[in-house]
Amino acid sequence: MIVLSSVSKLFGQKKAVDNISFKTKKGEIIGFLGPNGAGKTTTMRLILGYLKPTAGKILVAGFDPIEERVKVLKQVGYLPENNPLYQEMKVFEYLKFIASAKNEKNWQEIANEVGVSLVLNKKIEELSFGFKQRVGLAASLFGNPKYLILDEPTSGLDPLEQEKIRNLIKKLGQKKTVIFSTHILSEVEKVANRLIIIQNGQIVYDGKKPKEKGGVEELFKKKVKN
Amino acid sequence: MKNLIKKELNFYLNTPLGYLTTILFGIFANFFFVKDIFITGSASLRPFFLLLPWFLLIFIPGQAMRSFSEEKRANTIEILLSLPYQEAQIVLAKFLTNLILLIIALSLTLSLPLSLSLLTKIYLPEVLVSYLGTLLLGGSFCSLSLFFSSQTKNQVVAFLSSVVCLFFLLLLGSDFFASFIPKNLQGLLVPFSPLYHFQNFIKGILDFRSLFYFFSFTFLFLFLTVLELEKRN
Repeated sequence: MIVLSSVSKLFGQKKAVDNISFKTKKGEIIGFLGPNGAGKTTTMRLILGYLKPTAGKILVAGFDPIEERVKVLKQVGYLPENNPLYQEMKVFEYLKFIASAKNEKNWQEIANEVGVSLVLNKKIEELSFGFKQRVGLAASLFGNPKYLILDEPTSGLDPLEQEKIRNLIKKLGQKKTVIFSTHILSEVEKVANRLIIIQNGQIVYDGKKPKEKGGVEELFKKKVKN
Repeated sequence: MKNLIKKELNFYLNTPLGYLTTILFGIFANFFFVKDIFITGSASLRPFFLLLPWFLLIFIPGQAMRSFSEEKRANTIEILLSLPYQEAQIVLAKFLTNLILLIIALSLTLSLPLSLSLLTKIYLPEVLVSYLGTLLLGGSFCSLSLFFSSQTKNQVVAFLSSVVCLFFLLLLGSDFFASFIPKNLQGLLVPFSPLYHFQNFIKGILDFRSLFYFFSFTFLFLFLTVLELEKRN
């Protein structure tokens, strides 16, 4: 379970995350929505322990991400925003590096499932945006993590690739807890079973995804004020 | 840890930059010693070891500048810090990689004692202690350069900060500096210079104080680098 209790994060005077609390349950696929600069990436980085909270408490599987970061990181798969990768590495070198860090023996199977097995010998810098995204996603799945935190996993992909990634997230959500952020409202409608909307660092909605078609967009418009 | 070192080394081995800087170091270190050997007629390696700190002053910050700066610029630091490694392991892996590169570069200078030993008798323990001193000196330069690399996204800034800082530290132990300052101040400042302690090694002396100096210098900057990584602001 991931638990955030009254978590805030300040950058100087600016409150990037303002007193947010939520709990996740197994098998949840949480769509994390919000306008640019709302605090989605900061929240994800806080869960991972990449950033220290200014106030509040975070627990991932009962461990503090700052004090017990290695224990937390063994259970979390992470795809960061803009998917930074070691561009000079070949795909198989990068995947082997992450697999070894996460003690993943079946990395080739995962690479195959995510669809990067044909580009294993290519340098990452030579890959298309879609393939880079798949490499990042494959790496985030290594080590059989209980929790997947995906920061805009379909950003910049063409509609076909977006569909493939969405199906993969759905499949993964059957066994894992997935938190993914996106700007694409229809994506949340197709994939998520829970919705968290964040604005100006505060959660303005946390609950079930509306069932009716277009319900997410309507809810988003209602909750996020310009 | 082995995995981290392998990843770091791969970068240098996969790009011409790593080979180029190492080979250039070897060429310059050999050339600047050999060019004078026939003029002075001395077969001692001491002038060579006296030159080394000034070469390492450029070589090591040049190798180490990208260690953290590039990770920060490309944001791959976020990948690195999302892997189940302690910050200390990451810093140590980068430090050891730079040390391995230094050993490779220094091995290119082994031609000097080998060729000199054909011409004259060299005192092997002195040469070995001198190389040990060079490794310790290089290790302290690596740790300081890593620290500056962890402070900025800009490799050039990291390089220049390291070079300037190391230059002043070396200068403290130089004869040039000694001629400018009063004797009582010398006694206070000179022991802070790596050059002062390095000179013990090239005389073939294994001084405990100098060993302690290099180990604490290296540990201090590695520790500060770990603290920088742990900030998470």
